[in-house]
Amino acid sequence: MPDTESRTLRVSELDTVRTGLRLYRSMVIIREVELHIERLHRAGRMAGSFHSSVGQEAAASGVCEALRPDDLVSSTHRGHGHALAKGVPVGGLLAELFGLANGVSGGRGGSMHLHHLDSGFLGQNAIVAGGMPWAAGAAWGARQQGRDIIGVSFFGDGAASQGLFYETLRLATLWNSPCLFVCENNGFAHSMPVERLFGSPGTHCRLVAEQGMKAELVDGSDVLKVHEVACSLVDYVRTGYPAFLEVTVGRVRAHSLNDPEYEYRDRDSGKNWLEENDPIDTLRKSLPDLSKEFDQIDLEVSTLISRETIQAESGEINQANDALRDVDTLDSGVRHD
Amino acid sequence: MTELKYAEAVRAALRAELAADERVVVLGQEVGALGGVFTTTKGLQREFGSERVLDTPISEGAIAGWAVGAAMVGMRPVVEIMFMDFVMLAMDQIVNGAAKLRYMSNGQLSVPVVFRMPAGGGTRHGPQHSQQLESWFAHVPGLIVAMPSCAADAYTMLRQAIRSDDPVVFVESKYLYFRESGEIDESVSPDLPLTQTARVVREGTDLTVVTAGRMVQRVAEVARDLHESDGIDCEIIDLRYLWPLDTGAVARSVASTSKLAVVHEAVQTFGWGAEIASWVAEYCLADLDGPIVRIGSQRAPVPFAEVLENAVIPTEALIKEKLRELATY
Repeated sequence: MPDTESRTLRVSELDTVRTGLRLYRSMVIIREVELHIERLHRAGRMAGSFHSSVGQEAAASGVCEALRPDDLVSSTHRGHGHALAKGVPVGGLLAELFGLANGVSGGRGGSMHLHHLDSGFLGQNAIVAGGMPWAAGAAWGARQQGRDIIGVSFFGDGAASQGLFYETLRLATLWNSPCLFVCENNGFAHSMPVERLFGSPGTHCRLVAEQGMKAELVDGSDVLKVHEVACSLVDYVRTGYPAFLEVTVGRVRAHSLNDPEYEYRDRDSGKNWLEENDPIDTLRKSLPDLSKEFDQIDLEVSTLISRETIQAESGEINQANDALRDVDTLDSGVRHD
Repeated sequence: MTELKYAEAVRAALRAELAADERVVVLGQEVGALGGVFTTTKGLQREFGSERVLDTPISEGAIAGWAVGAAMVGMRPVVEIMFMDFVMLAMDQIVNGAAKLRYMSNGQLSVPVVFRMPAGGGTRHGPQHSQQLESWFAHVPGLIVAMPSCAADAYTMLRQAIRSDDPVVFVESKYLYFRESGEIDESVSPDLPLTQTARVVREGTDLTVVTAGRMVQRVAEVARDLHESDGIDCEIIDLRYLWPLDTGAVARSVASTSKLAVVHEAVQTFGWGAEIASWVAEYCLADLDGPIVRIGSQRAPVPFAEVLENAVIPTEALIKEKLRELATY
């Protein structure tokens, strides 16, 4: 029955088109927001620390596009991408980085401490590996209440140097927490090359698999592949088990904005990685028929960021007397004297 | 009213809250079949099942972080840290997680976790099993620090802690677990607010002693002796909570006695007694008729040998001598 076959083919092609466009939009938002933040810092319009996730978009987008809105994500100090991919509004994120009251954390968190429950974004934990038990515990707690949401914990390769990494994976296995652990192997734990510490990419995945958890390794320059693997792992996790996904990505920028990266790696290594592995370029090349649509998305995202920046930056300045609000639920902000 | 030992009172409070609210879960090492190394969870797993009373691996950090995550979705976990000395392994999740999440999420998140931990000396457990570290936690914004001194308070305060929407560090006294018993009052509402909660253990006119935890009973015995032997009349304030800090109760008492001593088992140097002393010096100086006296442990680990331990942790004799000195100043 050749007709049916060709129809099936067309449907799956249509799915690929839809998925490709969604993934593309998600990745371009992350890329452009990160580059925009970098410019705002250089122009002195933003202050503090900033850990760029340029080059790591496929992990955030590929996984988050496999999730439901009510699934819960925990993240890291390098977490803008995870937040945006999970649906945290661009304006709320930028306002937070401006330190304004209209930021998603009211200007109290900044770049490394974003929280947005309405988007299912539990938040960043800027302590390496610290977010792992949050996502696993939240997913487990939700399951205890009969909800079928899952947790996703994003962390870097450096997390495997923490005891909490092993502790959490073990506990998640013991108690069947429906949590997907996503290890973004970006080649560096700050200045320490991953290869020197753990060996070649895939070591994290192998370590975890050896302990009995379902674990996959995927190339983070191919977002369609990341998404496909993520979808299958998410389905598995939703049945009530933890799983692990290692995504090889590139840390295109320095560890943080003013990190003197040239002391420990070649001047062009980030740029070179991106030239060969850019997940956005790879997606464009693998779906050449969509170039017009992709261009359109580029334009929309650029407009969105301009608009949201203006709106975010003109937001409300925090009042000093708000500094003591929500420390606890006692007489908030009142000294007991 | 039921007469219970301190450890039994803790268990009764856990049992009452497990029964009252299915969001309450108890997590910790050996809390299940074994019933806790100090019996505080004995029988609870049998009664409430292994989905609500859970034995954990020896992973304090992950347990604490897990509880924080579960609390974020509305659970009310009670974590048992077997000895307070082990809490350092969970410190990051308590201080960087539980304590800050309400604040740094701008009120989006609430982390109602209770971290229970038996503390202090007197049981011959030695240096890594006898510390009294509540001052650390009282220094961290976002944490409630509870320190019951008797069975009745252990019961009521633990029920309050589990119902609190804030993370609570609940410091129990393992010395008192089997040595102290009292009537617990099941009818006291656990929904009472935590503020203004210090308890006047003994009324007196000559001097005020502010204390908490295990030292409350020690001070009470000293006060009885001093009254009989020297006619000195001590007023004793049991703070119950280091945060919220009931400075009103301290101020009222100092206003009537004009003298203040602070007694705690924690190391004296940089201990919470310094905060009380400083606060009174700052706000009640005109009421004072003598120097503020601090009595705490020596700046040394808690040694195993009894004679050494008694040279580190304040004994009745030492407290008596210092209070007599203050009374006659």
